[in-house]
Amino acid sequence: MDESPQQFRAIVERHQGRVFSIAFRILGDSGAAEEVAQDVFLELHRTLRRIESEEHVTAWLRRVACHRATDALRRRAARADTVAEEYKDGMGLRPAIREVIPLLNRVEQLLLTLPPAQRSVMLLRYQEDLEPEDIAIELGMPLATVRSHLQRALKLLREKAQRTLKEYSRG
Amino acid sequence: MVDRIDRGTDDFERELSNQLRARSAPTGFADRLMARLPAARKPRSRWQSLWNPAWSWAFIAALVAVTVLGGLEHNRQQRIAGERARDQVILALHIAGSTLNQVQQKVNQPDGSASDHAGKSSHTIDLTP
Repeated sequence: MDESPQQFRAIVERHQGRVFSIAFRILGDSGAAEEVAQDVFLELHRTLRRIESEEHVTAWLRRVACHRATDALRRRAARADTVAEEYKDGMGLRPAIREVIPLLNRVEQLLLTLPPAQRSVMLLRYQEDLEPEDIAIELGMPLATVRSHLQRALKLLREKAQRTLKEYSRG
Repeated sequence: MVDRIDRGTDDFERELSNQLRARSAPTGFADRLMARLPAARKPRSRWQSLWNPAWSWAFIAALVAVTVLGGLEHNRQQRIAGERARDQVILALHIAGSTLNQVQQKVNQPDGSASDHAGKSSHTIDLTP
């Protein structure tokens, strides 16, 4: 594809929302998400010559955004050693995430309580509207694993949402 | 959202899709990104764009072949020159030998003036290697 700055800027403007959303919903942190999203686009710029079409750009951005955001999450977990708390319960979010919660909607908050692999799969399914078969291809995962992640994530989210509702009605 | 959760997975999934629509990137995202792009690369010259990396290997292979063949040819030329020199030496020795033989024959003729020396050079000279 054309590497000219004008052409590249057009690609960035078309896809920045998608890439930023994936990074933000995996990381739960706007600053880190922007950093990851920018790195993803810089990597795209370096590989643009090998990209063949607009569809290829979209698929490439989704895949790389998921992987880079998950990598950033792992690095952060290794530093803070507290991410395990996030998986236990939606209310057990670590302080940095709790601070940005007002910026997140309810589903995004619940999504952050899922393990990273499930977050990626859920985002590709419900944000990007991909079928499980396409998710398996994009993430290089067996289809059965994708289905299992989707089922478990949905079950967890429903349970957490119901628990939140009960807590809310109790006042 | 929570009200709809109990109606079943379809409603819940629909709500997920609604709430997980792509967000807008932060204001100025594209500007900050474009500022981080490496400086534009110099356009490649016509010759550079025609140059194929495989040609470098072909050029090196041709250079090696020329060097090897050149070395072999040099050895061949030297061998031929050596053989020619040897032939010339042999020819010169033949000529010298036959000249000496002729001289010896003259010396050996039954002529009185030469008979004094007959006993001293009674052998023919063969200088052929």
